[in-house]
Amino acid sequence: MFFFYSGLISFALALLCLLAGIGITLSQLFRQKHTIPVSVKTLSLSAFVLHSLAVLSLLILQLTQDYTNAYVVSVIHEAMPKVLQMTAIWGGQAGSLLIWSWIVNLVLFIALMRKKQALDAWAYLVLAINTVFFAGLSFFVENPFKRVWLLPSDELAEALFAPAKGAHLYGWLDGFGLNPLLRHPGMVIHPPILYLGFALFLPPFALAVSKLIRGEELGDLLVKTRAWLLGAWLFLTAGIALGSWWAYEVLGWGGYWAWDPVETASLLPWLTSTALLHSLFIEKHKQVFRRFNFALALLSWLMTLFAIFITRTGLISSVHAFGESQISAPLGYFMLATLLISIWGMIKRWKDLGSGWAFKSFFTRDSLILYSNILLLGLLVICLYGLLFPMLSEGFGGTAITFDRSFFDRTTTPLFILLVFLMAVCPIIGWSLSAFKKPSKWLWLVLVLPLIGVLATAVFLSKKAIVLAVIFIILLGIVVLVVQSLVDWRDWKRFWHQRARYAAWLVHAGILFIALGVLGMAHFTDRIQGLMIPGDRMPLGQYSVEFLELKQDDSHPEYLRVNAQLKLYKGERFIKELNPGQDVYYERNQWISNPSKHATIRGDHYTLLLEYNAKMGTATIQLIENGMVNFLWLGSILLVLGGVLALSKPATALNEDTPQAEQTPGYPHEA
Amino acid sequence: MKHAVPDKQSIKKSEDMSQEEPKKKVNLKLIIGAVIIFAALVWLIISATRSSSQYFMTVEEIQVRSAELEGKSLRLSGAVLGDSIVYDAKKLQLSFDIVQIPGDHKVIKEMGGMAKVLADAAANPSLPKISVYYEGVRPDLLQHEAQAIVTGKLDASGVFQASELLLKCPSKYEAELPGQTQNEPGS
Repeated sequence: MFFFYSGLISFALALLCLLAGIGITLSQLFRQKHTIPVSVKTLSLSAFVLHSLAVLSLLILQLTQDYTNAYVVSVIHEAMPKVLQMTAIWGGQAGSLLIWSWIVNLVLFIALMRKKQALDAWAYLVLAINTVFFAGLSFFVENPFKRVWLLPSDELAEALFAPAKGAHLYGWLDGFGLNPLLRHPGMVIHPPILYLGFALFLPPFALAVSKLIRGEELGDLLVKTRAWLLGAWLFLTAGIALGSWWAYEVLGWGGYWAWDPVETASLLPWLTSTALLHSLFIEKHKQVFRRFNFALALLSWLMTLFAIFITRTGLISSVHAFGESQISAPLGYFMLATLLISIWGMIKRWKDLGSGWAFKSFFTRDSLILYSNILLLGLLVICLYGLLFPMLSEGFGGTAITFDRSFFDRTTTPLFILLVFLMAVCPIIGWSLSAFKKPSKWLWLVLVLPLIGVLATAVFLSKKAIVLAVIFIILLGIVVLVVQSLVDWRDWKRFWHQRARYAAWLVHAGILFIALGVLGMAHFTDRIQGLMIPGDRMPLGQYSVEFLELKQDDSHPEYLRVNAQLKLYKGERFIKELNPGQDVYYERNQWISNPSKHATIRGDHYTLLLEYNAKMGTATIQLIENGMVNFLWLGSILLVLGGVLALSKPATALNEDTPQAEQTPGYPHEA
Repeated sequence: MKHAVPDKQSIKKSEDMSQEEPKKKVNLKLIIGAVIIFAALVWLIISATRSSSQYFMTVEEIQVRSAELEGKSLRLSGAVLGDSIVYDAKKLQLSFDIVQIPGDHKVIKEMGGMAKVLADAAANPSLPKISVYYEGVRPDLLQHEAQAIVTGKLDASGVFQASELLLKCPSKYEAELPGQTQNEPGS
């Protein structure tokens, strides 16, 4: 009972503090003052502490298994491990909305705490309004502190306080437990990481809006937003990669990406922020692309709002969405208001943002980055269209039309291939044209090695043109990066100083690895399934699995676990024991499949227990070979490492390294 | 068009931004390039829209218009009838019946939410149903009262041949309350 009140009251007070802060800031702005008063800071910090107390209270309600709380009933089961009882806080709509609003508040808190780059009043206002909006949504629409009441009419209802006279608090003996699909370690940390990635797009948006309103200091967007953007990109990338890993490990269909609306939506801010990080780099060097960068900073937050909208409102059918909810209307209007403010700001400062950019040549690094950004925006348009068209087609009368994943596969594949190609050649393009006239030893290496790889692929693996082309591009990119690193190695003492540049290479290497993984999953997979009795062997290529026996384990109170004991062989050589299984959850009347796999750098051998007959001791086993799939995760790790390395370099120090880098002795100069 | 491939000199120049060099010709090329890219994008989207889209319909709509819809790419959503699920794990053949649920989110909301709509639909034998046939692994979430979203075609015998099967379980726990009310209040 205590933690119900502590949670509810501190949550309400947090909202009041934020509102008071917004009020004071508005009066400050009314008097044309642009600094944040100390009182607002104090209020805002108190709001964060109070908001944290609310989160803590809900956590305690979960850990103490207070089954009068409706949210606790929906996600907690007494037999769940303590870790899951905690992380269940983002396992359902109400709890995760509280966590999301708390993370937005956390970002506001960090922005206020950064001494070097003080927020101005407008930026604070934008940040605080967004925080209040989401906290308000959580408090008024999906309050996680709602309790279960037994009405006099013997019906149950959810409300904070007694909804009718004579209603009694109703306590369950046990809850339903977290959806078993969400219990994988990847899913346990995926939501907060993704939320943090999303929320970190808010400060760049707020800073851009503040600059557009004031029309001052339009030139330092990079310095002000780089750390936020890199952080956002980093967490978003990690979040998407974790989601994809989870899908592969848990969902049991052996895939990693399905162009599900929620997945596609989370990609939108990733596309805009990737484009933005690239063109900010050019703005730093050449003071151009300023309009573009402002638009992208605004768009990244808009796309984030859109992604949240799709995840939380269930307007588009998706496996991940929380199901239809009350929040679609307020969230929709909030998104519309954000869009209108963004458009208004851009129109207002359109002239001031002009930077006299003129297209000079097709083959300079800025042109290549421009092409890449056009491709990234092309992908954005495709994804938006793919998400919105089904919704709009229904709205404009007639039958609703939907897309299957082949729509996204067909439209995005050519763009992704071009993008990887540009990325692969970008490091050499500066010097290639001169190098073509006076071929250096590097250029031979750069062209010959990938060709050897392509030949090897054609002989041993596949003769499909698309596979060979993609292999060539990927190998070209990798060889270029290796050659560049070798050249730079002579000057390795400057490594730390030039780390922003190596961070970019690391990220690019990660993308190349991911491309390899995607290629493998598209063209080098195979599968077989069959009903097996103990002793049976099922072959797939050089490999085979032998089925030994079925094992049942009923020691867990929540589920019955059934495993098939398998042995994986390559030829006649024993490789590994595998034990794919199923957990049948008693309470939820749901079963989930536990795949088991043998992973190597060349790919996975992934097994599933599709069905079993305990009486007969038979099992239906599926064996899947997923070529090169682990490059997806390896590449994702490189992306994250690259992001961390880039983040370690302060934006203010960026101007120091590049000129020296290009003067490094022995480095193939541009031009 | 002689500057299509820039020589050493022009690269050098472009590296140096302090030099203003108005190049109308290249700007024209840029416009042409932009138009080509845009046209390519539009073509990609339109051609994929034609080949990868399906009509999203309800069970009732399909039954009313079954004659004209035969062979067309469709997607439909309905409540799964648990008793009707037949799965041959050896051949990976799965069949089950789904029952009419409304297609409009607003209607579903008015009827008390998706979980309630699914439960009511599965319990009401008078609603239209359709048989679905699917070849592949039985999904974890396929169970009584789940929402199935299937993509595929209607065959001549009125069976829906699904090529894709997506399942959603109502996550709202209110729907599960009725089965649990035997618990005693108080804790």
